[in-house]
Amino acid sequence: MELQPLYIQILALVIFAIGIIVAVARRNLFFVLMGVELALNAVNLSFVGFAKTLPAEASVTGQIVPLFSIAVAAAEACVGFAMVIMIFRNKESVDADSYSDMKG
Amino acid sequence: MLLNLLVIAPFVAAILMVLNSKEDSSASSRMAILMGVAFAAMSVALIVTGNQATTPVEWFHIPGTRGPVYYYLYAHGLGAWMVFLSCGLSLVALISARSITGKSYRNFAIGIFALMGAMNGTFLAADAVLFFFFFEAMVIPAAILIAAFGGEKRTTAAMTFAIYTLVGSAPMMVALWYLLTIADNSLLLSMAVAIQSLPADTQTLVMLSFLLAFLVKTPIFPFHGWQAITYAEAPAPLSAILTGAMSKAGVFGFIAWVLPIFPLNLNYISGLMWLGLGTAIYGALMALRATDGKRLLAYSSMSHLGFAVAGVFSLSEAMLPAVLVLLVAHGISAGVQYFLMGVAERMTGTRNINEMGGLSSKNPVFSFLFGAAGVMALAVPGTAGFVGEFTVLLSLWDLGPLPALVGGFCLILSATYVLRFIQKVLFGKPAREYQEGTRTTALEGVAFGSMLALLLAFGLHPAFVTNSLHLFDEGITEELTTEVVEEVTEPAEQPMTAEELRELDSTLAASGFTEEERKALLAQIQSETLAVDSAVAASEAAEDSVEAQGAAEEQAAAVGTDSSAAGAEPPAVETEKTEASENE
Amino acid sequence: MTHLPLWFIPLFPLIGTILLGTIAVVSSGAKKGPSEGLVGTLAVLFPALSFAVVAILACSMPEAGFRETLCNWIDIPLFRADIGFLFDGLSRIMLLFVTGIGSLIAMYSIGYMHGDRGFARFFAYINLFLFSMVVLVLADSLLLTFLGWEGVGLCSYLLIGFWNQDIKNCKAANKAFIVNRVGDIGFLLGMLTLVTIGGSSLLNYDGLAAFINMVIGAGEVVELVLPLSLAGLLFFIGCTGKSAQIPLLTWLPDAMAGPTPVSALIHAATMVTSGVYLLARLSMMFCLLEHVLLIIVFVGMFTALWAAIAGLLQNDIKKVLAYSTISQLGYMFMAAGVCAFDASIFHVFTHAFFKAALFLGAGAVIHSLAGEQDMRRMGGLINKTPVTACVMIFAFLAIVGFPGFAGFWSKDLILERIFVSGPILGPIVYVVGLATAVITAVYMGRLIIMTFFGKYRGDKETEEHIHEAPAVMLFPMVILAFGAIFSGYLWADSIGLTFFRDSMASVVGQAQALYLAANPAAHVNPVIFAALGTLAALGGMYIAWKVFSRARIIGVKGASTVPEGSAASWTFLWDYIHCAFIAVVNILAWFCDVVVEKVLQAIQWTIAAIVEILGDGASILQVRKVRLQLSFSVAGVALLVMLVIFSGGLV
Repeated sequence: MELQPLYIQILALVIFAIGIIVAVARRNLFFVLMGVELALNAVNLSFVGFAKTLPAEASVTGQIVPLFSIAVAAAEACVGFAMVIMIFRNKESVDADSYSDMKG
Repeated sequence: MLLNLLVIAPFVAAILMVLNSKEDSSASSRMAILMGVAFAAMSVALIVTGNQATTPVEWFHIPGTRGPVYYYLYAHGLGAWMVFLSCGLSLVALISARSITGKSYRNFAIGIFALMGAMNGTFLAADAVLFFFFFEAMVIPAAILIAAFGGEKRTTAAMTFAIYTLVGSAPMMVALWYLLTIADNSLLLSMAVAIQSLPADTQTLVMLSFLLAFLVKTPIFPFHGWQAITYAEAPAPLSAILTGAMSKAGVFGFIAWVLPIFPLNLNYISGLMWLGLGTAIYGALMALRATDGKRLLAYSSMSHLGFAVAGVFSLSEAMLPAVLVLLVAHGISAGVQYFLMGVAERMTGTRNINEMGGLSSKNPVFSFLFGAAGVMALAVPGTAGFVGEFTVLLSLWDLGPLPALVGGFCLILSATYVLRFIQKVLFGKPAREYQEGTRTTALEGVAFGSMLALLLAFGLHPAFVTNSLHLFDEGITEELTTEVVEEVTEPAEQPMTAEELRELDSTLAASGFTEEERKALLAQIQSETLAVDSAVAASEAAEDSVEAQGAAEEQAAAVGTDSSAAGAEPPAVETEKTEASENE
Repeated sequence: MTHLPLWFIPLFPLIGTILLGTIAVVSSGAKKGPSEGLVGTLAVLFPALSFAVVAILACSMPEAGFRETLCNWIDIPLFRADIGFLFDGLSRIMLLFVTGIGSLIAMYSIGYMHGDRGFARFFAYINLFLFSMVVLVLADSLLLTFLGWEGVGLCSYLLIGFWNQDIKNCKAANKAFIVNRVGDIGFLLGMLTLVTIGGSSLLNYDGLAAFINMVIGAGEVVELVLPLSLAGLLFFIGCTGKSAQIPLLTWLPDAMAGPTPVSALIHAATMVTSGVYLLARLSMMFCLLEHVLLIIVFVGMFTALWAAIAGLLQNDIKKVLAYSTISQLGYMFMAAGVCAFDASIFHVFTHAFFKAALFLGAGAVIHSLAGEQDMRRMGGLINKTPVTACVMIFAFLAIVGFPGFAGFWSKDLILERIFVSGPILGPIVYVVGLATAVITAVYMGRLIIMTFFGKYRGDKETEEHIHEAPAVMLFPMVILAFGAIFSGYLWADSIGLTFFRDSMASVVGQAQALYLAANPAAHVNPVIFAALGTLAALGGMYIAWKVFSRARIIGVKGASTVPEGSAASWTFLWDYIHCAFIAVVNILAWFCDVVVEKVLQAIQWTIAAIVEILGDGASILQVRKVRLQLSFSVAGVALLVMLVIFSGGLV
């Protein structure tokens, strides 16, 4: 049985939803970041899934873009975690709700 | 080359200044003053070599507009003199600031160079977007310098200045973009043509947006809210540049952009003229009551610039040289007054003129310079101020005795406040005990003295200034117009048709001209259309494929060619007026 | 024909100014001032050189005069002016006494200013003044005359406020400059009117005369009288400012705050007469303007009478002379008002001598009394300072018009011309003029009696120090006294000497002939006028002798010299009127400052506040919970996507 592109999209949607829910619902910052990463990866998956619907030559483009976005995600994770660690040093807490200094 | 150098090199100089040590202010001041001298020399060279232009380079393309934005500079007499003011005053500011800024001199110099580059760009830009870019860019270094080196209320002053002027020119940005969506490119001529195709209401709206920016920058009553506090709180050398060179951008904008582009009707012209005169009186009255020396000077320069704007909108034949001389004279004399006020502030530690006094016995050299500067600001004959004010009064008299009378009243008031200022600062006995700060240094003295000498020289031989307007030779005019216009139109010689003339005639009749006047005017226009230099006339005639060619349009075009070609051709508005007065 | 270049005349004082100014500035830092001998020599040398040039040129001058255009000054569309000089009968006379008396007074000042800290500065100003005055007189166009006109005003300002430690002097200087500025604006607008009438060539004196001749030739006088009258009136306003006539006369009495040589040179002999000079220069224009001439006559008449009465009420010796100057200037304007320009210039000429002598004498008195100016504390000085007293008495005889002295000839000439000028107006003005002559004799007699006769009324202490002035001061005084006696013989009609009239004829002759053609003069025997004038002088002197030689005058120590009571309200009449105008300006300024400016600021800050409030309002949308914000943004994105989808796509 061939893998239907639609299934891939559904899977991506599910993973994306899980990611968002984790990001919003959890208070621990590390979980929030993990949720964000998950959502990002879901999008990558979706890209690959759509690429599959194209003819072979054009399909390569769709498969390359996730590679870029994985690299970006890595960088973003780096920066994100670095920031979290810095904030943690000041706040002594990883609770996202205690981070409310930004409001004027 | 010279133009590029004058605009870009100051920014390079600013970057070079960063290389200097933060601690050693004497080394950085030496470098800054040397570069300042170089720029001043270049600006003199610009005046001497006459009108010139760079080759237009396509810069970028604003989405939604039809043509590209050019990096295109050109210098005519007016702009060149303004550049001279900006470079010269910056040089003296760099000299004078040594005793004020202390260790952070380097940063001050960086700001001054950036400001100078932006000002030069404003006065030399031939492209509206480029002009606007520099016009806005001026504000930023100035505001930063005020916030960093100003007096007690410096942050308020910097914020007021930046927000007021930026907000003032925001409508101009929108109007400019709107104009660009219908014009072929962002050069003067195509914009002047484009505005003709708009309905009257839109024209007015666009014009008002342009006017607002310049009214705020000059400043003209009632848009002067930012001025007094800014000039008072800014460090004195910067105030000198702001009033001597930057505020000229407003008047420059009226002459170089508003008059050529917009078909102003007589209501607006006389309204603006009266607004200028009102500002002149208002500034003088405020200066009469000011106790803060720098505020007093701020109001005095508001008064002078109001007078200049009134002169601009007298639209007489003598307007351009008259206003130019007035601007140059005011730039130098207000500048030197601010520098000297800075020295006084440094010596006595206060800006309140009621707490000064007795400086003439304490420091005779300073008081000689101060008194001479004051006297030259009074427009005593033999100084440049007199030539400027006399010729502007002459232009105002063209409109009738009343504006000239008001102008004369303004001169009396100016005598009053300047003498009060001199008396409070120099004469009598010191009002209080104080620790005396740094006196006038020798270099400063020489710089101020030479500024005063320049005022005398321009007063006794104003041809130095006015002749630069004649230098605009036909070659440059042609180059400028054809080069730019040929991309959009091909020239075609075509005088006004009989149909158009009839239409013009009826418009004139509707606006209340008598029979003979109309005839004389028509005859003149006919002969003029034939005589006008082919490039200019033809390109306009061709571009006016829009049929309706009313009198207003003809005026606008004539005014446009006039001030871009700097008096090569008497504008139609004036011929009408002079004729009218002759008929009386 | 070769002659000395005309620009030599202003050049010398200019060099003097620059040299002395440099000395003053350079030496200002030093403990000891520059050498007074050197400065004094320079200060007298340059005016004297200038005088020499004038004298040489005056001897070789042809009938038509010299004309010389140096270079272009202003050249713009609509307007063109050259820097050029004109040396003719009128400027010859003026220059001779300006540079001559100027040199003498510079010499006198060496003694008077001895030991002053601003010695060099003083002479720099004096030279600058002479330069401006020479330019004023020598200019061939109104614009260049205006340069000198404002230049002398500026020097007057600088010299009145010379002792600037005292704020009172500065205020007097400011007043002088500002009141003069009002007049100057009149001058300026007058020039603009002329330019509007016939282009910038009218500003040239020759051009103006040619234009007027052309107008008369073409018979278009009637059409042009109105604009020309406007111009004439504006020029006359300028003259009232510079020559201290009603209504702009308040500055001259205050100007006595300056050093006395300055009062002699600027505020008596030269600068204040430039208004009369201007009227004579523009005689061709004024002779057409009957209404303006009428105004001039009346202004002159009232000024003469008013100032003479005010002079009667003063206690300060210099103030008496100041009001006397105003009164004499009134005579000159009366003469100019009946188109007797040569007579008015003749009075300028003789007045310069005797009034300068009077002022210098007063200066010598003040000098000998160590700065005392109150006449109530003088008296009996004739024994202690005989030379000064003689000089002043001769000058006194000249000013009251004692037969044979300079004032006699010029004043009688003026009165005669006034009488014959018209059937009704002439006699009225003549009577007022004669009455003024009587009052003149009274107040001048009072001055002489209070100063030189009777008993000394000051302190014993100062009495011992009274001394005659040094020779360097006496020499100029004596020369001026000779001038006060003999200068009248240049034009003594009764004995047939008309040299002065002939030399003026080339300049003002045509204008006067035109006026006479329009208003034919009745012939009256001049001997009657001479007799009446003499009678007036003698009568005035008699009254003065009767009233003041016996009167007990109490010398109050430290009392103010300002008149009190009704004397004050008469003296300061015009000051009160000026105050009304000043009050209006002050109220306007107050209104702008306190009301308009505040309202504008309020509007400006209200707009700023509104923006701030809106910003605050918008910021409540920003909640504190990070997670909530995140869910908001996710929901927002979802909402946007749904919107796009259900509204049919992006485009």
